[in-house]
Amino acid sequence: MTTDSTPVIEDGARNVTLGDRVQEILKRQEVTLVGVILVFGIIITVLNPVFATPSNILDLFRATVVYFVAACGLTLVVVAGGFDFSVGSAFTLGAIGATWLMTHGVPWPVAALGGVALGFVVGLINSVIIDRLRVPPIITTLGMFYFIAGAVVLFTGGRDIQPLPDGFNAFGKGTLLGIPVLIWYAVAIGIIFHIVLQHTRFGYNVKAVGGNLDAAVANGISRVRTNAWLYAVGGAIAALAGILYSARTGSGQVSAGGSTVTLTAISAVLIGGTSLFGGVGSIAGTALGALLFATIQNGLAIASVPAQYSNMIIGAILVIAVAVDSYRRRRSLLKLLS
Amino acid sequence: MSDAQGRAAVLTVEGASKHFGSVAALRAADLEVFPGEVLGIVGDNGAGKSTLLKVLSGIHTPTDGRMTVAGAEVHFSSPADARRAGISTVQQDLALVEVLDIATNLYLGDFPKRGLLVDRKRMEREATELLRRLNVRVSSVLTPVASLSGGQRQIIAISRAVRLESARVVLLDEPTAALGVQETAHVGEIIDNLRDSGKAVVLISHDMEFVFEHADRIQVMRLGKTARALRVSETSRDEIIALITGAKQL
Repeated sequence: MTTDSTPVIEDGARNVTLGDRVQEILKRQEVTLVGVILVFGIIITVLNPVFATPSNILDLFRATVVYFVAACGLTLVVVAGGFDFSVGSAFTLGAIGATWLMTHGVPWPVAALGGVALGFVVGLINSVIIDRLRVPPIITTLGMFYFIAGAVVLFTGGRDIQPLPDGFNAFGKGTLLGIPVLIWYAVAIGIIFHIVLQHTRFGYNVKAVGGNLDAAVANGISRVRTNAWLYAVGGAIAALAGILYSARTGSGQVSAGGSTVTLTAISAVLIGGTSLFGGVGSIAGTALGALLFATIQNGLAIASVPAQYSNMIIGAILVIAVAVDSYRRRRSLLKLLS
Repeated sequence: MSDAQGRAAVLTVEGASKHFGSVAALRAADLEVFPGEVLGIVGDNGAGKSTLLKVLSGIHTPTDGRMTVAGAEVHFSSPADARRAGISTVQQDLALVEVLDIATNLYLGDFPKRGLLVDRKRMEREATELLRRLNVRVSSVLTPVASLSGGQRQIIAISRAVRLESARVVLLDEPTAALGVQETAHVGEIIDNLRDSGKAVVLISHDMEFVFEHADRIQVMRLGKTARALRVSETSRDEIIALITGAKQL
């Protein structure tokens, strides 16, 4: 099929070939992103060879993994055609909830689970508001974002929570095979979310709900159940990201998370090729989106470019990524009409 | 409730009604369909055909009325309920997810599992076999539905309804509306095969010629009510049209 441009009409469907699969892969946004990251990395390295040193690359990864973890859940939500503005607040809530518990006599692993549970409940409440009260996801989760942000400051009086138990700090600070454990955690979480999205019934249902809600429902997929799991898992994983961040920094910070996490996670998801129109997206794309984000920030800093420029560049890349997605949709529509 | 061969009806509806607020889309619909037969349902726009079909497929819960499948009374509160009872539906809007590939669409809501994961290989293999058996022409089951023509999509939606081995009843809402001559003939062939394999088919269509060619009995709907079903061999197009317009009453 790759060498033959005339459509082959035959009875029945052809067997799926290796060529089909290769074509599917080359069409993906991830391939473009790898290219962009490589080109950018090479340019920065030419300007300042410090960029490509292992210690800088590890720093770059370590800075981005917590955002990536928070963005994993968000990827699934956006693939399902939803949106979650509250990830940044769930991040803060997880950090504050877990560290408060562990400084009040709860063993740290239990406290960490408690923090994750808080994020889960927040997501569940989001889904109930979205599905029962029929409030659009963007409004529901924006409201939740502000509500939790206020509640956390009220609860802590604006003070960070520390010192934290040694065991918990070690949990976020060690290295394994020379690589920070935080990066290993993020890789494991990324793989789990990738499998959930690409290989489980739940993941298939998420894509169907995002691609065409009415069709999914008419074929027996429950929107309410899918959404409940989506937002709950999204909240839980964002809270976990906040807890990992606390372990790395050694304190439960009131100012950690918030809009920075929300905006970085959303940017990573969208730059990674997950479509706001629903039905399309991948964890690998989100990982590359987060990586591109971090590469630009780190690389421009190393090349002594002022931080304002990196924000401008990230803003431009975000718009370009969504424009590319929109263009792809229009083109496939045009192809259909011709 | 049995037909000339003494077979029991596989699906029956008695006095089904559906109100949307003060609007009665369905007033008192009766229906029975037997294994190995095609029941055509015809009527003017707004006669209640699609509402009846949505009640049968679990999308609408009827305001009143009684339904049985294979003799047992059923109450559907979701499309999943209807599917479990063995009713497979091709909606007029086809209910396909355009961004997903053909194989995935054929298994929506019913993905084959192997352990915890979806058995993608089996899904692709069986989807390919199904389309081959039905003579459906597509390049491969990895093709996204968005890149198919209207006719191809219609055939994919029908293939999906046919796929369910457990289906006793296949409901088709305007299956030929978007089709060319050749594709229409293809759908007719699939319907004939369903009947021959012992399934009950309920066919809603505006295409009078198609209904007369493939249905065994025809039931006219008018103003949310159903008339008695007539054998195709014992009626005529003129009689059916008179019933549709209300010029004649049964």
